[in-house]
Amino acid sequence: MKVIWAAIFLGLSAANPALADGVDPEQGLSWLRKMIDASNQINYRGTFVYQNRHTSETSRIVHYVNPAGGVFEKLEALDGPAREVIRTNDQVTCYLPATKTVLIEQRNARLLPALLPESLSGITGSYIVSTGGRDRVAGHECQVVTLEPKDSLRYGRQFCVETRSGLPLRVRTYSEKKDHVELFAFTQLAIGGGFNRDRVKSKYAAKSRNWRVDRSALDTNERQVDTGWIVNNQPPGFRKLTEVRRSIAGRAGAVAQIVFSDGLAAISVFIEPMPKERPVQALTHNGAVNIYTLSLADHMVTVLGEAPAATVMQIANSLELRTAAAR
Amino acid sequence: MDRISALMDGELDEGQARREIGRLREDAELRERWESFHLIGDAMRGERLLSPAMMQRLAERLAHEPIVLAPRRGTARKIAAYALSAAASISAVALVGWVALGTNDVGTAREVVRAPAPTLVVPVPAPAPQVANVPNDGNMNEYILAHQGFSPSTALQGVVPYIRSVSSRQPAHNR
Repeated sequence: MKVIWAAIFLGLSAANPALADGVDPEQGLSWLRKMIDASNQINYRGTFVYQNRHTSETSRIVHYVNPAGGVFEKLEALDGPAREVIRTNDQVTCYLPATKTVLIEQRNARLLPALLPESLSGITGSYIVSTGGRDRVAGHECQVVTLEPKDSLRYGRQFCVETRSGLPLRVRTYSEKKDHVELFAFTQLAIGGGFNRDRVKSKYAAKSRNWRVDRSALDTNERQVDTGWIVNNQPPGFRKLTEVRRSIAGRAGAVAQIVFSDGLAAISVFIEPMPKERPVQALTHNGAVNIYTLSLADHMVTVLGEAPAATVMQIANSLELRTAAAR
Repeated sequence: MDRISALMDGELDEGQARREIGRLREDAELRERWESFHLIGDAMRGERLLSPAMMQRLAERLAHEPIVLAPRRGTARKIAAYALSAAASISAVALVGWVALGTNDVGTAREVVRAPAPTLVVPVPAPAPQVANVPNDGNMNEYILAHQGFSPSTALQGVVPYIRSVSSRQPAHNR
């Protein structure tokens, strides 16, 4: 794995035009690499603040890696209605006590491992990667790494990465006008410590047995499918990552999902048969995620991702069903 | 309603037209009517029907044209010709009206109404969303959840970004 990474990043830096701008992306990229390694190798517990244009909330997080390399995480919202997210290698479970609902997202592990090296390889084509000064977040020293977009199709990102572990202590997402779109920042953090299974269990695990369970899953029989849908006006820098048929929690019937990524941001297209109630064309956002819903022929289309609304809409508005390849 | 059709037919004076375009910008229902009027008009003239997404696509294609802040004659003519060929079925009035609607800045909209063709180039630097972008009330959480696993941000930040997929279901004004 390490060798593949090295090869990809060496290849990138050799052919990278950003070098001409006087910015050496290799340093920044190695910090990105370190961040990915940290989320697979480091144990930590802490509290972080999530802030977007409309809301700010605090959550507690526990992240453990067991000796076999399995990753177990728990996120617990501390403000507003109680909510918990438990993430293990191939499953994400959301406990929503206010509505007595459990959302389960079953992930097809086979579809995901290949995701990263591939998706990150395009980063320097769309962003100028640079390193800044040192800062301090939640009492830990961190290195500022900035990914400045080369066009208005994507948001900028600034990380402050804990210098020893590689943990991102603060992640800022900003718009073209340098407005804050979203911020994640640890306020308290303890790195290290032994694996403790109990700490990553939901306190609702027993209670939720009588709750409504909404499952969503990728089709485990197939790797990728041709859904018959194409995007005619794909935003530059975005590549198709995957195309699958799947189910979505609370939705009847199969949904086609096509994922595009520029290496940092991802945009998902969901296409499903028109529900009984025809959806109203709507543009909404949740932090850095812009969501555009519209009806297209006999289908409901939902496009969302951590990219500017115009980018999300560009994908939505250039969708087309190839009649010959349909089904 | 009558005023909308009068606006379409170019029968309003500048002040009235500005007011009507202002109303169009405020009122989504009115905009839908405006669009369907044009579709009806196109159908009656036997022209090929354009999908409602066409305007957005036009905006995107225009956005990819070089932006000239002080347009020279040649460029303006080229872009005007491009716009006309791309939107053969849209009347000039519709184009002016739409550009005014597409920009969120009132001042710019006024500019567009008053100004002749070349300044049309200036207000279209980005495909401005035509619909208002409002905070989500949590009805998309399942989709955000289904998306999050594919996002590189999950590889970088772990479970942290999943806070979005459990955003509480409250009307935005209560927060």
